[in-house]
Amino acid sequence: MPNKKFLVVYILMPMLILVVFLFSLASGSNGISLIDVINVLFSNADDNISLIIRQVRFPRVIIACVIGAGLAASGCVFQAILKNPLADPFTLGISGGAAFGTTASFVFGFASITSFFTPFCAFIGVMISVFVVYCLSMQKRFNSNSMILSGVVVSYVFSAAVMLMFALSSANNIQTAFIWLMGNFSTFDERLLPFVIVVVIVGIIVLSLFGNIINAISLGDEKSKTIGINVEKNIKFLFLTASFITAVTVSVCGIIGFVGLMIPHIMRKIVGANNILLIPASAFAGAIFLPLCDTLSRVLLAPILIPIGATTSIIGGSFFVWLLLKSRKSMS
Amino acid sequence: MIRIENISAGYLNKEVLKNISCDIEQKDFFGIIGKNGAGKSTLLKILCDLLNPYSGNIYIDGKNIKSFSKKDFAKTISFLPQYVDTSLSFTVSEFVMFGRYPYMNIFKVPSNNDYTVTKKVMDFLNITDFLERKINELSDGEKQKVLIAQVLAQETDIIVFDEPISHLDIGNQNDILEILRDLNEKYNKTIILTLHDLNIAGEFCNKLALMENGSIYRQGTPEEVLNYKDIERVYNTTVIVKTNPISNKPYVIPVSKNKIKTG
Repeated sequence: MPNKKFLVVYILMPMLILVVFLFSLASGSNGISLIDVINVLFSNADDNISLIIRQVRFPRVIIACVIGAGLAASGCVFQAILKNPLADPFTLGISGGAAFGTTASFVFGFASITSFFTPFCAFIGVMISVFVVYCLSMQKRFNSNSMILSGVVVSYVFSAAVMLMFALSSANNIQTAFIWLMGNFSTFDERLLPFVIVVVIVGIIVLSLFGNIINAISLGDEKSKTIGINVEKNIKFLFLTASFITAVTVSVCGIIGFVGLMIPHIMRKIVGANNILLIPASAFAGAIFLPLCDTLSRVLLAPILIPIGATTSIIGGSFFVWLLLKSRKSMS
Repeated sequence: MIRIENISAGYLNKEVLKNISCDIEQKDFFGIIGKNGAGKSTLLKILCDLLNPYSGNIYIDGKNIKSFSKKDFAKTISFLPQYVDTSLSFTVSEFVMFGRYPYMNIFKVPSNNDYTVTKKVMDFLNITDFLERKINELSDGEKQKVLIAQVLAQETDIIVFDEPISHLDIGNQNDILEILRDLNEKYNKTIILTLHDLNIAGEFCNKLALMENGSIYRQGTPEEVLNYKDIERVYNTTVIVKTNPISNKPYVIPVSKNKIKTG
């Protein structure tokens, strides 16, 4: 049985990623076919089509894959260490911090200086929120409840600050800030791409290697301590690592909800609760799901671009309604 | 041998254990009894280094438990708490493997020896026929055996249980207790457990400690501890103590207050 699951996760899912990758490169409004895509990837043609594919779609699909993987894997880890199936990468106030940083960069005009400033400000915002949550939950014992509580508090404070900035600002790029907040792949800075790829992939590998320890932590404090696990130290490390991955993704592409909540849920149903398999499986699934969503938001109302955050939230929301209805049916 | 020396402990500002001292010999089957809130579970937590005492020390074979590394401590003493999260869908064999964590490297990759030990343990407990089932789909009795398997996989000389049988039916209770007795007699394990059922305590334990309000009110053999005067005083009720004709151990029968008046 476990071997079968390993095959599914490590062979089937990467193959699916490849298929989705090619499909996403091909779909769009320019009548590019799958064959064109493959031709472009394996030749050095210099026509219009290859320009669109290489310079517009390729980075976009790559970043969608990487960010989907990062959000899904860190969501999986947050659910495990917070012992809460409703946790996601944004439960602990990261989205609040990112929104704060971004809004500040637009309202105070940093964004117009250089495009590099928005991700930078978003990252600073996230780091502030992570730091505050960390310090707040350190006050007592470092446990899941105090972390969630601190995260909720930080979220509220930051969203109040964001609203205040929107209300008091007369800057005319608030619309841009708003679009950014809903997550988008159109305006990210390509120079950041290698950095994001490295951080997310290394992060996911580290988290996956800690899968067994995360398993042990999920047994409950008393049990995991008596099998020799330093629970607090590991939770701190995992929290900071998963937060860092989320911070990087959010800084580049804004707040993309539901991926980190929904993907681990689905994958848990398929591969089971063992994190050593669940974390990489979630990462792969995220790398399949997000490019598909992005393609959908490009194609569905073309030429209007639906913000990716809206697409994932609509799909995620409907998924949970379905889940709720299904479980109610099976209960009655 | 375990020496508990002048332990005082509690949570926040509430003192639960008051200056407790007691010795537990190697190979003891040591039962801790007493009312709810007397401090039984807290004493176990202190013993397993899950809670820091206000004052006092605990020595295992002359070595202070505070001087153990976490891993070495987990190879010395294992603990089955009242609550272990079994809601996630791990398989039984995955779940038992957690007990081997003190023996594994930083990323907890099992070695061949780890597989051999868990196999041996699951054979001993007769749970091999459901080792691929999910832990959250087992009955309470089966689950408790799996939890005990996990504890045994730790291969410690001292095993501590916090009310291991309180939620089981009488058949499963006896099953579990016979397993513990086997471990104690055949495998020379020191067993320390809290119990609510005085008759089971009298039947299986060779030493008892009766706790009241954070102190040990009386300790000794079941015959010494289970006498009607001490029990009536500590539990504030009326009982009769008889001797089990087969095992010659004391057993305790509650008496309704109405019956005393009319009879």
